[in-house]
Amino acid sequence: MAFPARPPGQRLPLKLPEVTAILQGSATIVWLPVGQTSTVCGTMSGVALLPFIILLPFIGALAIWLLPARARSSASLLAGAVAVALTASCLWLYGSVADGTVLRNELTWLPQFGLNLVARMDGLSWLFATMIAGIGGLIVLYAHYYMSPKDSMPRFLAFLLAFKGAMLGIVLSGNLIQIVAFWELTSVFSFLLIGYWHHTSAARDGARMALVITGAGGFALFGGMLLLGHIVGSYDLDVVLAAGDKVRSDPLYTPTLLLILLAAFTKSAQFPFQFWLPRAMAAPTPVSAYLHSATMVKAGVFLLTVFWPVLAGTSTWFWIVTYVGLATLLLGAYSAIFQQDMKGLLAYSTVSHLGLITTLLGMNSQLALVAAVFHIVNHATFKASLFMAAGIIDHEAGTRDIRKLSGLYRYMPATATLAIVASAAMAGVPLLNGFLSKEMFFGETALRNPIPFVDVSLPAVAIVASLFAVTYSLRFVHGVFFGPPPTELDRVPHEPPALMRRPIEILVLICLLVGIIPGLTIGPFLATAVKSVLGPDMPYYSLSVWHGFNWALAMSLVALAGGVILFLLLQKYLARGIEAPPFIGHIVGPRIFERLLILLSVRWAKAAERLLGTRRLQPQLVLLVAVATLAAAIPTLGGIGLLPLPPTTFDPGLALVWVVGMTCAVGAAVQAKYHRLVALMLLGGAGLATSITFVWYSAPDLALTQLLVEVVTTILILLGLRWLPQRLETSEIDPFRRFSLHRLRDLALATIAGGGIALLSYAVMTRDAPDGIARFLLENAYTEGGGRNVVNVILVDFRAFDTFGEITVLGIVALATYALLRRFRPAADSIPRPEQQRVQSAFESQRDDHKEGTILSEFLYVPSVLMRWLFPVIVTFAAFLLLRGHDLPGGGFIAGITLAIGFILQYLAGGTRWTEERLRILPVYWIGTGLLLALVTGAASWLFGYPFLTTSFQYVDVPVLGRVPVASALLFDIGVFILVVGATVLMLIAIAHQSLRSAKRDAQPPGKTAPMIEREKA
Amino acid sequence: MTAIVDHLVILPIVVPMLAGVILTLINERHAATKLAINISATLLLLVVSLLLLWKFGTGDGSLTEVYRLGNWPVPVAITLVGDRLSAVMVALVSFLALGCISYAAARWHRGGSHFNTLFQLLLMGLNGAFLTGDLFNLFVFFEVMLAASYGLLLHGSGNARVRAGLHYIAFNLAASSLFLLGVSLVYAVTGTLNMADIAARLPTVPAESRSLLEAGLALLGIAFLGKAAMWPIGFWLPTAYAAASPPAAALFAIMSKVGVYVLLRLSVLLGAYGAEGFGHEWLLYGGMATIVFGTVGFLSSQDLPRMVGFGVLVSSGTLLAMLSYGDPAVTASAVYYLVISTLTIACLFLLSELLERGRAPEADILAVTLEAFGDEQEVEREQEVGITIPATMATLGISFALCAMLLAGMPPLSGFLAKFMMMAAVIGSDTGAGVGASTWVLVALLIVSGFATMLGLLRTGINRFWVPSAGEVPLVRVVEIGPIALFLGLCVALLVLAAPAMAYMENMAEGLYALSAG
Repeated sequence: MAFPARPPGQRLPLKLPEVTAILQGSATIVWLPVGQTSTVCGTMSGVALLPFIILLPFIGALAIWLLPARARSSASLLAGAVAVALTASCLWLYGSVADGTVLRNELTWLPQFGLNLVARMDGLSWLFATMIAGIGGLIVLYAHYYMSPKDSMPRFLAFLLAFKGAMLGIVLSGNLIQIVAFWELTSVFSFLLIGYWHHTSAARDGARMALVITGAGGFALFGGMLLLGHIVGSYDLDVVLAAGDKVRSDPLYTPTLLLILLAAFTKSAQFPFQFWLPRAMAAPTPVSAYLHSATMVKAGVFLLTVFWPVLAGTSTWFWIVTYVGLATLLLGAYSAIFQQDMKGLLAYSTVSHLGLITTLLGMNSQLALVAAVFHIVNHATFKASLFMAAGIIDHEAGTRDIRKLSGLYRYMPATATLAIVASAAMAGVPLLNGFLSKEMFFGETALRNPIPFVDVSLPAVAIVASLFAVTYSLRFVHGVFFGPPPTELDRVPHEPPALMRRPIEILVLICLLVGIIPGLTIGPFLATAVKSVLGPDMPYYSLSVWHGFNWALAMSLVALAGGVILFLLLQKYLARGIEAPPFIGHIVGPRIFERLLILLSVRWAKAAERLLGTRRLQPQLVLLVAVATLAAAIPTLGGIGLLPLPPTTFDPGLALVWVVGMTCAVGAAVQAKYHRLVALMLLGGAGLATSITFVWYSAPDLALTQLLVEVVTTILILLGLRWLPQRLETSEIDPFRRFSLHRLRDLALATIAGGGIALLSYAVMTRDAPDGIARFLLENAYTEGGGRNVVNVILVDFRAFDTFGEITVLGIVALATYALLRRFRPAADSIPRPEQQRVQSAFESQRDDHKEGTILSEFLYVPSVLMRWLFPVIVTFAAFLLLRGHDLPGGGFIAGITLAIGFILQYLAGGTRWTEERLRILPVYWIGTGLLLALVTGAASWLFGYPFLTTSFQYVDVPVLGRVPVASALLFDIGVFILVVGATVLMLIAIAHQSLRSAKRDAQPPGKTAPMIEREKA
Repeated sequence: MTAIVDHLVILPIVVPMLAGVILTLINERHAATKLAINISATLLLLVVSLLLLWKFGTGDGSLTEVYRLGNWPVPVAITLVGDRLSAVMVALVSFLALGCISYAAARWHRGGSHFNTLFQLLLMGLNGAFLTGDLFNLFVFFEVMLAASYGLLLHGSGNARVRAGLHYIAFNLAASSLFLLGVSLVYAVTGTLNMADIAARLPTVPAESRSLLEAGLALLGIAFLGKAAMWPIGFWLPTAYAAASPPAAALFAIMSKVGVYVLLRLSVLLGAYGAEGFGHEWLLYGGMATIVFGTVGFLSSQDLPRMVGFGVLVSSGTLLAMLSYGDPAVTASAVYYLVISTLTIACLFLLSELLERGRAPEADILAVTLEAFGDEQEVEREQEVGITIPATMATLGISFALCAMLLAGMPPLSGFLAKFMMMAAVIGSDTGAGVGASTWVLVALLIVSGFATMLGLLRTGINRFWVPSAGEVPLVRVVEIGPIALFLGLCVALLVLAAPAMAYMENMAEGLYALSAG
């Protein structure tokens, strides 16, 4: 059909009307978002039922899951009711789809992404839905008797129902993405079902393998559907189905095909992904029966069938699908012969039959497609009944091992008869349904093909594999039901409850009816299903049992006879009870898979993580600097504009300061690794040079701040140095002897980065400043902000919010430091008294006129007296700095640091104990009060209807001082002041108290730190 | 006296600030009082943020509100800018905070000094970073946020935390200095700090200063990419996050998103200035490299917190790559993804500790070796009867499974929807010339990383929940499972309400880009 070309630049070009146009003749409901009219076209009958069919199992699952674990019967009843309702709905809907109508119920959800919720049913999905619902119901009945009373029936049935809902979702979805969603859901719920007995390692392994493989397929399907949607321009299934030619001619066809095939092959256990399916039989038997017949594995072939009109018809499709199918067919049949476990034999048989279906779908022939759909149904019926029979035997005999089983016919004749009939269907014996679809398969493979390889391989493999199928069916029947009575059983087997057998009876009856009168039973349904795939011009095919002598019949006869002969020949080999099939037995798929998975997901991942990353700090910092340098270099390599030469009137004094400063900085860097104390002192030198520079260029506020901050940080770090490990041994301290390649690299990087930043700064500073906000600040500081000191007005008024944030930072840092150090205990090697004190003590103990500790107590005696006396002076000075800040250099921050220095001096002079006995400082409250004052000042402006931190100032007449300017910013500045004092002192105390703790610890043996968690565990 | 609603935009900063201050003034002995204040403040913040969400939701997407601090005229004043995007982020912070404090209420709030204060001040920093419209003020709030996070990372103490914490501090201080350098350069060239004003002045920057401006912007970009943990400057993240106490780590889940958020803001603002050139390619390739590294690390890690740390990298990488498209539809779905992935990651951080309780520490190593060598013990027939999982384990198991599906982007949860929308949007974002190879690579990476995530969490989950172990059933309190339910509930709500949520996001994204165009 003609398809509108995709206009460029439009996300998903197909709008609703166009989609509706494609869907003419279908019964559709379109739900639009509230407020818009809903479009209804076509017949309404049954369309409304569709979402209900998808949702009901999930609702049922939730209801059952909420039942108590012991509510066995109510769980089964509820699940059974859901199954009956679903099956009845499906059957009722047949009338609506029989004439080729597509039922659609669309809920507009995210149309901009092409994602609407579409429930859709055509003939094919009707067939699948009915099969899923019907067999699902039988499984519930069977499971009720199969599961042990000790199992949690509600949990099991809830998973089963949810799984059923997901399967129904796949077949009834009308949107590609929705299909992906339900597809992954089947993987998830099958994982939960297979792992139901998760305390056994077999169940865990089987479940995990199933999820990894089918889940991977799901992710591939996601990619495939995205591609498909992109090619077509819509994620709507009906639109995609109408765009087959467009898809096949698109350059993205091959990747799309491969991804979708990957999904289908993993789900349908096609070679080389077949091995998860036999492993999945660790699931309870009802689950196996369901997974292997109507669901899970059938999702893969369903996908291939649905997209057959879009993706099939190319040689890529033919070669991949046909031959993967053939390989699976042969491998599965061959392996099945040699299984000792009944369920294993059936599992490999499933693999083989799915291979057969895949082969048919790959042949690009319409007749083959008919055969494939037919065989899907047939396989579901006989395989479900066989699994259930195997489960009954397992249940009654206590084992599934064919070697231990024998002659069960005499104990359970009814079950045996049913199983024998179903096996015959599996083998393709005439008058049973398996025979019919297999005949069609033979008929297709026997067609002459111009390519010699295909011409020979197709029929040859078909015959051989069918022959194997006869053999393993015989083996199953003969090994279990005939022969002498079993000797290795611990109980006497007997018939199960009649109701437990009922599902098998129904299914076997279907096998027989379809096998004998196909035209009256399956005929119309098959025709409807096939018509929805192939369209109205279907090929002619006949479903009758007898077509006269032809190639197909001959091949069937050869397979039957050959199978019997092979079985007889193998009797002796099989009697030996060897577990693995000959020739390929040593290639264990699951083991290879596990190894590969470990290699990829663990070993290689670890190696790659080591290669691509690092956990060490230094390389991380190197990388940061390197990346930053690179990022800044790329735009600037082309030039950074004119760089004016330095002014000739450069002052030699300042130059000298700079030389000293730079030398200090370089020295600090050199010594940083080897001598921390020296490095710190040199750093102080560099800072001092910066301060002098600020003074030189008339920035007194900056200079003051820089100077004070330098002093305080240096002191605090010095105090902290006491608790760091000792410096490295002398042999290692010469930095110039031990330069290695990576130090050289670091040096180069540091030079480039530092030089680059210097260059950028120089370029910026020698250029005319742009006309920005600075002019406003300068012009309005006094008139609007009420202060002559622009820096201070900026800090407490123009950009008070920044200051507000920064004082919070300071407070946080202090609190965090305190919290960290409160739990910190010095390392063992820094607990002993420092070397200097030990030397002094040794000196004192030799001299008679010295008591031990005298030097220490008298150390810096005169300065410490001075420091004590200076304290009131410093306090006054700080207050002075604070108050004058708005007009002259000073302000809350500077004043706060000044006062903090006063406190530090007291600590240095008198020691921690002495100071704290005399000065009661509660720095945490200072922090809180300072912040609160700043916050309240800021919020006060709300009362006057102004934004946060709006200031006001006016002149106030103060009795003695006269008329003085008072700005509300001063309150804010006082807040800053209080906070700075509190924060600095808190850090000081946090460090100072280490010495008190370690002193206490001198007596005790150095223990390790006791973090909270370890303590709690203890 | 005007209504407090006029000051709504600043309240997300002031409320936690006030709470933090009050908490400072209360002695550590009154742990219960402090906790109560913390929780009340967080609830209040939630109310404020929902009001913001509602306020900006009622107008069209380009509705913004500028709050001028100190009532100064616009380019001078520090401004806070509220719009849909910042409202979404602030609301996300509030929800995360509520969950984390509830979890911490069980026992972590007593794990060290000043936890409550630091917690609230971290919220202040986060909200400030999301709301500010001023480049230097952004730096200030980054510092508030980082300073508080240093404290919170060290909360609970212990060698691992101190080691990881010091690495974290060192790296982030270095990144912050880059930030400062960048701000200085930009200010030096444009003469302004207001972000909108910077964007407006870009065309007037003289030609010889352009390279300086670009260098400044590049340094800023690197600083933010460092915070967003882009490869190769994001190695600090998994170690730091894995070492943090669970409530802190869960709150940190949003911190890496701050970098992403700022990059989004700046790239939108500067978009008009043709900054797409090299910047956007860096984002795309850097993002993809981050996804690869995150995925690889995810698989190679064995303990859950570290895995989740790498999950943060994957999430960051995804977002960075999405930003590079500069397309409203991509951005809208990326923000949706941001919300989902942040909540999921937070949830997993919380879960990881609950799962760890009552377990032998070496069990993780066993998970891989069991897979490698199998344990093919013969199963006793009698064992083929299901064992009932205790209710606690069942709850944890369901939560874990939901988280795993969300993180891996497995249907039908919102993680899948988010990934689908992003992919559909990037595939659809090309005009005319067809979809570029890099886009397909990105889509493939997203799918593969999702699968790898599933693989890694599957291994952990089976080992944690299905292998019968001698360990005891962990004691879990309601306040600990509550936040997990809250986060998962939000993810489910965003799935059910995907249509209105996406309408909100799309209006938001269109508003963003319309601003930059206009």
